[in-house]
Order: sequence, then structure tokens, then C-alpha cells
Amino acid sequence: MSEAAAHDAPTSTGIEHKKLIMWLFLASDCMFFGTLISTHLLYRKLYPTGFTDAEGHQRFIQNLFNIELTSFSTFILLMSSFLMALAVSAMHKGQIKSFRRNVLGVIFFGLIFLGCQVFEFTHFYHQGLTIQNSVLGSTFYVLTGTHGTHVAIGVLWLILLYFYSFSGKLQGHVAALDVEVAGLYWHFVDIVWIIIFTAVYLVEYLGPNGFWGSGLPPVIK
Amino acid sequence: MSHDSHHAPVASKLELAPERSDLGLYRPDRATGWVDWLTTVDHKKIGILYGAFAMFYFLVGGVEALAIRTQLARPDNTLITARMYNQLFTMHGTTMIFLGVMPLSAGFFNFLVPLQIGARDVAFPRLNAFSLWTFVFGAFVLNASWLFEFGHLAGWFNQFEWHKNLIYTDFAPANGWFSYAPLSGTIGQADQALHSPRFTGVGTDFWIIGIQILGIASLAASFNFICTIVNMRAKGMTMMRLPVFTWMTLVTAILIILAFPAITVALIELMFDRQFGANFFNPSAGGQPILWQHLFWIFGHPEVYILVLPAMGIVSEILPTFTGRPLFGYPIIVFSGCVIGFLGFAVWSHHMFTTGLGPVPTAAFSLLTMAIAVPTGVKIFNWMGTIWGGRVRFTPPMVLSLGFIWMFMCGGFSGVMHSSAPADAQQQDTYFVIAHFHYVLLGGVLLGLMAGLYFWFPKIFGRMPNEKVAYLASGLVIIGFNLAFGPMHYLGLAGMPRRTHTYHAGNGWETWNLVATVGAYILGIGVATAFINLVWTAFKGRKVESDPWDGRTLEWSLPSPVPEYNFAQSPVIGARDAFSEHKYGDLRLIYEKDGGPSGVHMPSQSWMPLLASAGFLFIGFGMPMMSMGIPYAGWLVITGLVVLIAGIWLWALEGPGGYMLTTPTNTAPANQPSASLSR
Repeated sequence: MSEAAAHDAPTSTGIEHKKLIMWLFLASDCMFFGTLISTHLLYRKLYPTGFTDAEGHQRFIQNLFNIELTSFSTFILLMSSFLMALAVSAMHKGQIKSFRRNVLGVIFFGLIFLGCQVFEFTHFYHQGLTIQNSVLGSTFYVLTGTHGTHVAIGVLWLILLYFYSFSGKLQGHVAALDVEVAGLYWHFVDIVWIIIFTAVYLVEYLGPNGFWGSGLPPVIK
Repeated sequence: MSHDSHHAPVASKLELAPERSDLGLYRPDRATGWVDWLTTVDHKKIGILYGAFAMFYFLVGGVEALAIRTQLARPDNTLITARMYNQLFTMHGTTMIFLGVMPLSAGFFNFLVPLQIGARDVAFPRLNAFSLWTFVFGAFVLNASWLFEFGHLAGWFNQFEWHKNLIYTDFAPANGWFSYAPLSGTIGQADQALHSPRFTGVGTDFWIIGIQILGIASLAASFNFICTIVNMRAKGMTMMRLPVFTWMTLVTAILIILAFPAITVALIELMFDRQFGANFFNPSAGGQPILWQHLFWIFGHPEVYILVLPAMGIVSEILPTFTGRPLFGYPIIVFSGCVIGFLGFAVWSHHMFTTGLGPVPTAAFSLLTMAIAVPTGVKIFNWMGTIWGGRVRFTPPMVLSLGFIWMFMCGGFSGVMHSSAPADAQQQDTYFVIAHFHYVLLGGVLLGLMAGLYFWFPKIFGRMPNEKVAYLASGLVIIGFNLAFGPMHYLGLAGMPRRTHTYHAGNGWETWNLVATVGAYILGIGVATAFINLVWTAFKGRKVESDPWDGRTLEWSLPSPVPEYNFAQSPVIGARDAFSEHKYGDLRLIYEKDGGPSGVHMPSQSWMPLLASAGFLFIGFGMPMMSMGIPYAGWLVITGLVVLIAGIWLWALEGPGGYMLTTPTNTAPANQPSASLSR
């Protein structure tokens, strides 16, 4: 049975194939991010003191992070989820103009998040944290970079959906399902970021010596 | 959508008028010959292709194994260099696991699952084709490393400037199938080109990207199969009426989607270490090589059950058929399979007892490993309960299945020995381990898969394999296998280390090594005999009716070979072993009033899955070439990504299409008057 016919025929569970396969993919992606986050946390526990920059200075992660900026981009990403929910709802009601407006908002917010991440990476790199000079650099850049790649794929997906909506073919139950599946992906990527933001950023500011006992009191710049 | 505009139903796809996709390109629906095979979305054809490629790679891996055994036939042998020996055992393991057993199981999943659940196709036919071709290209990338190796041995690369950048020149992977860091990783500081000094050559990069591509293929296929099994069951086919093979497919697919992400991340981290100078496993920068072991075995141990559960499912289908009894304790067998799958995630560290985990984790993993013997033992007792009191017919599939139970039990016993950490510390890295997992993977999985091939070949091709040759092959395989791997128990306990290219005379290992080599050759002849028998059968074998074994599950109610729409009318299921009930019980199969002259919906064929997969070919060659320092190799990777994304994009835009195919209205299964078939 093809994808199109699959929507006409009832499924055994009543859940559409496309929605089910997206949930399965997300289950798999949970394990994927779980492994990456574990890698980062394991190394944080093992090497709580941060990294050594190119001049040989010991650097603490709390002095590196710009928690205000990251909090801002986290908020933006959360709000993009809100707009995504509105876009899905609009599509279910067949309100294509409202869908376009909201999806454009999601794309815009996603791009702001990516821009913040690019700025953050550049800033950290100039502060001396590179993928080569420490385990912290490796785990941090690969973890957050992988998440950024997920966001970028989501943005690309939504941009294609946005332009596709002008072809007139994005309508009816099938289109609503397609948008809902894209929404599932987008919400998941946001939820993962909440976990990363907590586990990678926020915990560094916990406790008198930092959560990992780096010996440095948490500093809010 | 697009299928609304389609013409009237046709009796054959060859009668279709040319049809344009939403992109304006002609769909290859009417294709025949090799274009048909390249663009097919039919789960049966995809299953056959999986099987054909898997059998080819079984032979490749078998030749590598025989080369290893030839080298070890006598002490102080110099036939194969130590370096080549490393490459051989690495590629032997990798090939057998990822290119032999997994795709052959996938072939069975593809061919059988829709038939067993009463469906006309899988949930995502084009994604299914994508999985197949991604596997094919990944397998090619992995094995292309041999071509580079031979080119290097012939001196082709010595003239190039980039060749001087290579510290080590093993082009074929030489790091073992579990590729332990730091051997597979880096040491020291990265240079200007972000390359850290490495222990192994570019073969490891081929291995990393090859396994990564194969993982994508497995993941895509597993998403598809879970969807199919959960969502596309015929009316009345409740979960507890599913054939056990389909159940084990479901458990296997769930294991794949939850276990493969760990190796995906581990491979990404290793790739970043090697290509971009990261420090995940680089000891000189504080990286912990043991992290690789954990990540690898969190994937690696479920992988063992990914390999063996399909074979268990096959045997659970064959035993009831040839004893004429329903499977003893069906719910217990199903639950045991689920428990094995669940516990499979909780025992990975028993591969790492000698790394010094500490007493508490060691005890915990020891205990859990012993616990996993319980559901496995339950299964074996249930199989014995099925045979007990049955009218056993010793057909070739049955002989191989009985061999499976016996050999798998032997492997299980030595497995329980490993679960005891102190004993394992003695057995670690000896031939005892080799003996153990070959009894599980060869005595278990290979015999199970061969039994499945002999069992379902009459259904797949409508032709019966020559029985005498089949018995001969089964005997050769079982005898050769025991001769080859039985002595390794002794060799291992006598201290012979694994992964060593030769051994000195005088350790008392000579005789049994020679016996093992002779056994390996008998085994090789047996497998080759079976494969030649099967390939010959596919083209020239004796034609048989649709239900030659007196089968119990739905696939035997269909004509052989199975028509492209599978079920002319969708079945409605009233019992477990529905077809057997239909023939001998009170519950006749009934059919829905679909199909017939108004036709059944068939998915359109497509080039796009093949195009998207082809992107992996560029990525697969580009990444190792980047590692070699070949100029502009990075652009090859980018080209691959562009091809992949373009393929997926065009795939989305072409629309699913589809056409209607008329089916016969009267499709009475064998052994049954047609009157009882329609509602």
C-alpha cells in the first residue's frame, strides 16, 4: 500500500503510519541524544575544572558561558514550539494563510537560535575552547552541534513546506498530517534542547563550587 | 491525491499507460528487467535482493574465514602476514554480522512479514527500497577498502604525493569488529590539518563510514517494519495471533532502533577524533578509551540478539509445521523473546569484565547475564515440548532446525560459563570465546537461517530444492561446524589467544588447529553446496504447488510464487495458525470483499530511493579519502550530501502515485472447497 492509499485505509491501531514512524524515529533519537549527553556528563564529572586555552591558562566553564545569551536563545526556541503548535492547528482547520504566517515565525525563530549558536561557537573558539584542545571542547561542540544540525534540518524542512504551500497541493487531511509530523519533530528537538540547556549549561551554576566541584563559585556575568 | 487521476484497473502493470509523477517525470511502473529490479518497491523483490546480496557476502566472509584457518593450520605458518591477518579477521567478523546475517534476516523480514500479517505491502514501500540500496552501497564502501588494499599492494598509489602522508597503509580495516579505541582512534596532538597521529590506517575510516551507512539502512528498515507489524495487520490478526517469526521481527526491529543510536554516536565521536582532531578517545588529551567499549557494547550486546532472534523466530515456525502440532506455549515463547530483548540492554558490561569495573558492577552484570539464560532456556524447553509427541517429518528444514536447537544450546552453555566473571577473566581473548560465539552465531543463527531458506524457498520461487543435496549440505555443515569449533573450546582453555596470526609449535595446539582447519573446509564445502543448491533451485528447480510442507501460517495460503498484490482479497483472521485452522479446524479463513475487478492499490515504482542512497556512495568514499589527505576529497562528501538531500526532496515532490491492479475473485487456498471462502 502506498503512502497515499495508506491514509485512506484504516490502520490496525488507528494511528497513521507517518505519525507512528515519526514517534519511532524520535524514540531512536532519544537514545542518540542520550548517548551524546552521557558522554558530555561523564567527562564533566571526570574533568570538572574546564580546559586549558592556547596560552596555557586554566579556564573555567562558568567564565566561558554567556548564560544570558543562551537563556535568550532557549526562550526563542521554546516560543518557536508555540508557533509550531499554532501552525499545526491552522493546518488542521485548513487555514493556509495562518499556517504560512506561523511557520514563517517558526523558521525565523529557528534561524535566531542557530544564529545565537553560531555566535556562541565563534565566541568560545576565540576564548580558546576548540574541539582539539580538550575533551570538554570535543563533547561540547559535538553535542550542541548535533542538536544545531537537528534544528537546521527542521528549518530546512519547514522552509520547503512553506514554499510547497504555494503550489496549492498542501491541503486536506494528508497535508495536515505532514505538518503535524514536522511539528512532532520540531517539538522533540526543542525538548532535547531543554535537557541539554539544563544538563550542559544550568547545572554549572549549581552549588557553592559548581555542580561538578570545579572549585569555582558560580559567576553570573 | 495523484492516484485519483489514475486510469481504470489493469490486470498487469505492463498494460498501464505511461504515467507522469508530480515532477513531470515518467514513473518506472511499467519497467521490466533490471530497471524493474532497481526501481522496485515490492517487498518480495526487495527481500529477494537482500537475500541475494547477503548470500554473496556470506561467501566473501567465508573465503576470509578459510584464509584465516589456512594460516592457522600449522604452527609458525608464514602464508599470511600479521597485518593481512588482522585485516582478514576484522573483515570476516564485520562482513558476517553486518553484510551476511543481518541482511539475510532482513530478506526474511521483507518477504514474510506482510504475508504473515495478511498485508499487501509494507507501510513505506519507497523507504523499504531506500533501506535496501543504502545497505548495498554501505556494503560496497566497506569492501571497496579491499580494492584499495590490493591497489596498494600492486604499488599503484606509491607515486602520489598524498601517499606520503599516510603513516600506516592498511587500506582494509585491521582493528577488529569491535574496533577498540585507542587502537582505532588517535594519540597525541592534532597537526595543522587537524589530524592526530593514528595507530591504524585509512581502513578504519572505511570501517567507520561503512558501518555508519549500514546503520542508517538498518534503522530505516526497522522503523518501517515496526510500523508495518503494528499498523497493517489484517482484520482479526491480534498481536497474540501473530506468527512467532513476525513477533521476533518486531522485537528485533525495536532492538535495532534503540541499540543502533549508541554505535552511531560512538562512530561519530571516533570519526571526529580521526578526521577533526577531537579527543573523545584520545588518551593523551584525557579521553577515555573505555568509553568506546561501553558505547560499543551497549550497541554490541543487543546486536547479538538482533542476530539470533530472527533465527529463533524461523525455528519457531518450522518446528510446528514438521511436527504437526501448534507451537508449545506460544505466549511464553513470545514473552521470552521480549524479555531477551529487554535484558539484552542490561548485560553489555559482561564483555568488559577484565577492564576492572569494580566488584558491584561486575556482580550485577554477572547476575543479569545469568538471568538472560532463563528466557532462552524457556524457549528451548518450549521447542522440545513442541516436538514431544509430534509426528516428526525429517525434512531438510527440520534437520537444520534440530541442529539449531542442539548447537545453540552448546553455545548457550559456554555463554553461561562466561557470565561468571572469574571464569571469564581466564577465558577472555582466548579461542574459548571464539568457540562460544561461533556456536551461537553459526550453530545458532546460520543453521536457523539455512533452515529458513530451505523452508520458504518453495514459497519464494515456487520451486523445491533437491532434497538429497539439501540433506548432504546440512550434514556437511553440522559435521564441519562441530569439527571446526568444538576443538576451539579446548584450544582456548589451553591458552591459545585469539587474533594472533600464528602460534609456535610445542604448545600442544597443533593437532586441534589442524582438525579445526579441516572442519572449516568441510563447513565451507557444506555452505557452498547449500547455496549452489538454492541458486539452482531458484532457476531450475522442480515446480511445486503452493503448500508443499502443509504450512500453518497465512503465506502458505497464497499461490507460489506470490502474486505482486499478495492477497487478492484481504483475509480476516480468526485464530492463531490461521491457515492450519482453516485446513483442519473449524475456523475457515474468510475474506473481505476488496480486490476483484475494482482492483487493489499498488504503489508506484521509483528511482528516488536509489538516487538518495547513491549519496552515501560519495560520502562513503569521500570520508576515507579526506583522511588520506587526498585534495578536494571533502567536496566528494558534500556532493554526497547534496545527492542525498536532492534524492529525498525529489522523492517527496514526485508524490506517492500508485495504480489499481485487478485480482482474481476466486482465490480459494489449497485443500479447501471455495464455497467456504466468501462471506
